Amino acid sequence: MDSLVVLTVLTWFAVIALMYLKYSVMADAAPICSYGQATCHVPSLADLFDRVIQQSSRMHGISTDLHSEFDHYLPSKNFIGKQRCHTYAILTPDDKEKAQRLGREQLTEVILRLLMAWGDPLSQLHWSMSQDQNQDFNQYRSNKALEISDIVRELKDGVIKVAERMKRLGLNGNFVSYISPENVDPFSAISFYKRGELNSVDHQDLLYCFRRDSHKVKTYLRILKCSTFPTLDC
Amino acid sequence: DKPKLTSCRSPEKETFTCWWQPGHDGGLPTTYALYYLKDNSDTIYECPDYHTAGENSCFFNKNDTSVWVNYNITVVATNALGSNFSDPEDVDVAYIVQPHTPENVTVNVMEDKGWPFLRVSWESPHKADIRSGWITLIYELRVKLEGEEEWEEHHAGQQKMFNIFSIRSGSTYLVQVRCKPDHGFWSEWSSTTYVKVPEYFFRERSLWILVMIFSSFTLIILLWIVHMNSHSLKHCLLPPVPGPKIKGFDQQIFKNGRSDEILSALMVPNFPPTKSSNYEDLLVEYLEVYVSEEQELILEESKDSCLKSDSSTCDSDSGRGSCDSHTLLTDKCGEAKRERRASGEDSGMTIESQKGWEEEALSYTQEDVATPDVSSRRVKTWPSVFSTVPQYTTSPLDQKTSLELSKQHCLSDTLFPPGSSTKEVLGPNYWEFDLSNKQSHLPQPQTHGSQQLQAHSDVNISYTGNKQVPALLQLPGFKSTEYVEVQKVNQEDMVILQPVESDNCGRDEECPHVLQGEDYSKVKGVGSDNLLLLQSGVKARMGDEMEANGVSESCYTSSSFATTQKHIDSMHSATIPGQEEPIRATTGYVDTTTMFTLPMY
Repeated sequence: MDSLVVLTVLTWFAVIALMYLKYSVMADAAPICSYGQATCHVPSLADLFDRVIQQSSRMHGISTDLHSEFDHYLPSKNFIGKQRCHTYAILTPDDKEKAQRLGREQLTEVILRLLMAWGDPLSQLHWSMSQDQNQDFNQYRSNKALEISDIVRELKDGVIKVAERMKRLGLNGNFVSYISPENVDPFSAISFYKRGELNSVDHQDLLYCFRRDSHKVKTYLRILKCSTFPTLDC
Repeated sequence: DKPKLTSCRSPEKETFTCWWQPGHDGGLPTTYALYYLKDNSDTIYECPDYHTAGENSCFFNKNDTSVWVNYNITVVATNALGSNFSDPEDVDVAYIVQPHTPENVTVNVMEDKGWPFLRVSWESPHKADIRSGWITLIYELRVKLEGEEEWEEHHAGQQKMFNIFSIRSGSTYLVQVRCKPDHGFWSEWSSTTYVKVPEYFFRERSLWILVMIFSSFTLIILLWIVHMNSHSLKHCLLPPVPGPKIKGFDQQIFKNGRSDEILSALMVPNFPPTKSSNYEDLLVEYLEVYVSEEQELILEESKDSCLKSDSSTCDSDSGRGSCDSHTLLTDKCGEAKRERRASGEDSGMTIESQKGWEEEALSYTQEDVATPDVSSRRVKTWPSVFSTVPQYTTSPLDQKTSLELSKQHCLSDTLFPPGSSTKEVLGPNYWEFDLSNKQSHLPQPQTHGSQQLQAHSDVNISYTGNKQVPALLQLPGFKSTEYVEVQKVNQEDMVILQPVESDNCGRDEECPHVLQGEDYSKVKGVGSDNLLLLQSGVKARMGDEMEANGVSESCYTSSSFATTQKHIDSMHSATIPGQEEPIRATTGYVDTTTMFTLPMY
């Protein structure tokens, strides 16, 4: 009887401890706190940058995986004479010097544009993949596509926050957080890649483009960080 | 033949180089040209620099390099015969980055609390622009001992410094570092850096000393424990082979051959037990004797006993006579030996006990040894039966025990019937003497006041092998041929002895067996003064029988012996109650011995 009571008490304590730990961990991993919450741990800009860069790196990794899968199985289309990616309109620096010359605000803007441009196509891609007949491949791929679309969305939010913080800190003077909607047209984006329903071949093209753009985003973010925080990491 | 674009690489994502492999040119001078298209535009460009990167290469400098742009490259080989186009390849500079090796790899030996470790530090390749974040490099290093083959690899992430702790003093290490952009190709390993770790001899030695001391302590303790438990360990690991032994008896004594020791060894302490002792103490194991049919064995044994009797010359208990008898016994032994040899083999001796004894399953047949003139010997011999008695001295014996003792004596006389069965004749004799206490077995009427001799409780005689003689049987010179059967003990504690007769005798009281030879004295009784009453005479019967069947003599004492004293004076004649003739040992000679009572049948 006594031992039972002791056991119960111990279990209860263990549960409490676990919950506390979980919440404390969650507190550390909690998203960026909104204004005025005293109990929240407010990450610094450097932390924000690190988090964002991690996410972009992850995004690029997944896109590379997905693309490499497609690359083995399907031949690529012939793109001579036409644009391959729907984000061709977004002018991106293709050089280190050009990127450095662009300045923080513009660089941030480019990043955001890219991220926004890919939000919908990726979710459509996921949807399209899950519809596909070929179950073996697509389960993995559709999961990855889903993951990517989530990351892109989060990354976009993160970059916005970074930009806002920077602006608050006076680093990002002219940054305009609001992106005009005409740049982000979900229907046109997808229609760029397909003639009708998205099929596997379209997937490959889409992923090829996305891989490239994710690499751009990753690189731009690093440049942004290193220009803002010239630490030992850079 | 077609040229082939082998690879394109960019060391820092700002320039890149492409190499091609020329096809078979057929020996003719061939020129190569590289053309490319950028990102799906129609404009064809030609390689700006064919020389910087060496033979069959094209170098794209910064101005011509655009990242995240798809280059569609084709190599054309032209000679007198014509042109040949390679397959076009798509190249995106962002994905072909392979940096140079890390630079300035330095390794230092440092110390952490007395233990050495290596601190490896390096720098990024100078061309790769880490600072602006244009490229992110991750590093990897590998270490190995000089002379070894296997490298130990470590991943260092983005840091430019790494500590290696698992190193040995006094050895030389080789260190190499390489790097890679987070999505790209690994660089080559840097040139080897050698580092010699000085001897941290002091440190290692102290550790070894500590280890040695500790282990030696442990070893000593273990040895000590083993030593303490050596006996039990021995018993555990090497269980002792059971050997014949008598409890409380040291065979070593017989080997030494000193009479007093032997006799004192035969002297069983607390034997016979006093009356006051517990009944339990009186319980003695049954004496079970199995005689093999093999004569020689017995003869051997008797021979042994003879010899042994030699050694035990005069014992303190017996008077002069005993000494003499011993010598005579010796002679007899020798002769008996000869006789045995002469007589050849025979069936084993079987002792047939009298009623009470039948249950003992004693059986042995004895050869006729009596042929020669053993009379004198016999006479002399049988007293020796009692010569052993001194051992079992004053205290009265229990009926059974005395019976058994006398049994034993007789048996010893005959030597020990080899234990279990005739089968074992030739083999090692396993002979077991068990003094077991079976009171019920011996329903003899108690003699009147015959003193109870208390036997020593566990006289467990067992032996294997021919030569070994159980203690009890090493009574001086018992010859198989001769027995005296104690018939009874009268009221006055007189031992009535009778020569043992053949097995046919089943009578209670007496089975007089004539010992072979003419002369022998039959002990008729024991006088009150512990005189043995001997009756001379009875003879011939035995001899007949012996001749007939090669004598089976059974030895048994049917009467009880009373021992009130240690020895009996030798006497030549005594009156025997109930006997007409005076006992007279003509030539014989009665040894002195103690008397002990046996239950009367």
